[in-house]
Amino acid sequence: MSTTDTLIRSARFRKEREPGWVQLEKLVTTVEKQGVHALSFADAQDMAALYRQAMTSLSLAREISLDKGLLAYLEALCARAYLAVYAPQESLHGLVSRLFLRGFPQAVRRSTLPLIVGLLTMALGFLAGYLLFLDDQTWYNTMMPEGLAGGRGLGSSRDDLLDVIYSDQQITGSSLAAFASFLFSHNTQIAIFVFSLGVLICVPSFVLTFYNGMVLGTFFALHVDRGIGYDLFAWLSIHGVTEIGAIIVACSGGFVLGLAVLFPGEMTRRDALRHAGRDAVKLALLAAFMLIIAAILEGFFRQLVQDPVTRITIGWGMGAFWLLYWTLGGRGKEPER
Amino acid sequence: MRWRFWRKADETKAQTARRMQPKDKRLIENFLPPEGVPITFRVASLGARFGAQLLDILLTVLFVVALLFLVSLADILSEEAIVAIFAILFFALRVPYYAATEILWNGQTLGKKIVKMRVISGDGRSLSAYQVTVRNLMKEMEVFVPGAYLLAAPAFSWQGRLLIFAWIMILLTVPLMNRRRQRLGDIIANTFVVEIPKPVLLPDLASKPEQPQSTYSFLPHHLDHYGRFELQTLETLLQANTTRMEARVAYRHKQTLAKVSKSIVQRIEFTDPIPKGEERGFLEAFYKTQRAYLENRKLFGDAREDKFHKEDM
Repeated sequence: MSTTDTLIRSARFRKEREPGWVQLEKLVTTVEKQGVHALSFADAQDMAALYRQAMTSLSLAREISLDKGLLAYLEALCARAYLAVYAPQESLHGLVSRLFLRGFPQAVRRSTLPLIVGLLTMALGFLAGYLLFLDDQTWYNTMMPEGLAGGRGLGSSRDDLLDVIYSDQQITGSSLAAFASFLFSHNTQIAIFVFSLGVLICVPSFVLTFYNGMVLGTFFALHVDRGIGYDLFAWLSIHGVTEIGAIIVACSGGFVLGLAVLFPGEMTRRDALRHAGRDAVKLALLAAFMLIIAAILEGFFRQLVQDPVTRITIGWGMGAFWLLYWTLGGRGKEPER
Repeated sequence: MRWRFWRKADETKAQTARRMQPKDKRLIENFLPPEGVPITFRVASLGARFGAQLLDILLTVLFVVALLFLVSLADILSEEAIVAIFAILFFALRVPYYAATEILWNGQTLGKKIVKMRVISGDGRSLSAYQVTVRNLMKEMEVFVPGAYLLAAPAFSWQGRLLIFAWIMILLTVPLMNRRRQRLGDIIANTFVVEIPKPVLLPDLASKPEQPQSTYSFLPHHLDHYGRFELQTLETLLQANTTRMEARVAYRHKQTLAKVSKSIVQRIEFTDPIPKGEERGFLEAFYKTQRAYLENRKLFGDAREDKFHKEDM
């Protein structure tokens, strides 16, 4: 066998296709630097075609060529082109609007049962706390975390309690501070834990939500005992409806995860968890959004609005809004998973 | 003989040699895009990822501090309001920053851009917003909360410290336990972080025009000795860029070429004389002929992996 001037098969293969690869590399570099919008229509079309050609070349080269440099080049080029071609082509705006218009309400509707269970858990906790307080008032001290009570306890008189409810010493500068402190408050932490611990077959979510209901129940019972149940109801309603709603939504998100672990059905537990994760994450984001709304209501409106009737109207108006949003939002459109 | 010491009892020479070949454990070779041609990615090292995370934290904190400085210079807001804005911004700089950048920049945050790596979806499809959200929500439990506790550790009791230590240890071992170096959030979202590959197109040695003085004739029995591994090792040697080398290194490279050509001549029992200083020409001619021969054999179903190929039959 002698060496001749004619090219060997794999070298010919390379020579025929090389200009296409070089052009693809140029296009991919542009996309990486400036985004796919920087390409003209023809270039974008070329990129897709050239990418598929490069993939075919790679597949062929692995069979017919022993040129290590070429194989390494094609591997790297194809990997890079793959990342450019299969980049998520979504705008942030489109994603967010899709989430709010379809994702959230559809996820809530798919999780109606966990949501109801969460609501019942909270209500049962509330009832238990209320009855325990009526039975023996010292339960209040056992139940109520120090920081949450804010100095309100069994020793507080009716006027002390009313003072907190109808205080208007706050000015606009610090409503922002109130907003911020709310975000880091007890209930946000509860919402995070209630959601993320749901994976442990629902138990921690259940216990925490129940406990949260109990705290609320005893707190309410204290005020009823002093004869100002109505005023407290109005005071809590304005942001509480949204806030408690957020905890229940977070809890139902935790339940969705826990139920996937408990009853995976035909799938493996891992797959079931991945599948359930899609709705659960949406519920968690929805809960976060509701907590922010509640923070705005608490920070800016609770001090501005002093009249109990208006407080109740705003609070339960928000509640009605959430319900309507969940039941009617995103209907008739394709399901968003 | 050198590796006899490492040989397992019931192994042939070929098996030992192949087992002892250095392997890059970070290469993921079975990544399957929708086109159905598997492509290779190199998983980013944990050190690089840690560095990118630190860079991200540093950049975002710097941004907030600079913004606050400007706001306080402008003197329009009360001190309390500034503190509140600071708190809110810090909230936004955690999950939302990472999720938004990774969606907009195809799996890269600022830190990942600097370190040149990227998040990709493990299923070979494009990275979805859901995956990015999940892996960054989990970052809260994996990076920020333990990090904050670590900073506050001196204030805890010893049980508390032990708990934090255990938590962090578990978080650190998870990525070490799997090949794709996935942390918990990556496992749940089915994503992993890879280095961005760099395509370098080297000239084809086989299509180089031949020098007239280096025409050698090889016969089939000359070409039956080596396989793919030796051919590609020779290719690496010949592809080394001699123009960029220092004089000393270039001289040593030349010596290596002479040594290699000598041992090839011995092994294949090549009898034609090779003029001194012409070793490169001989090696290039041999490379080209050997490659054509091996590629041909492969087409006929006789793929030769290395010089032990005769034992395979």
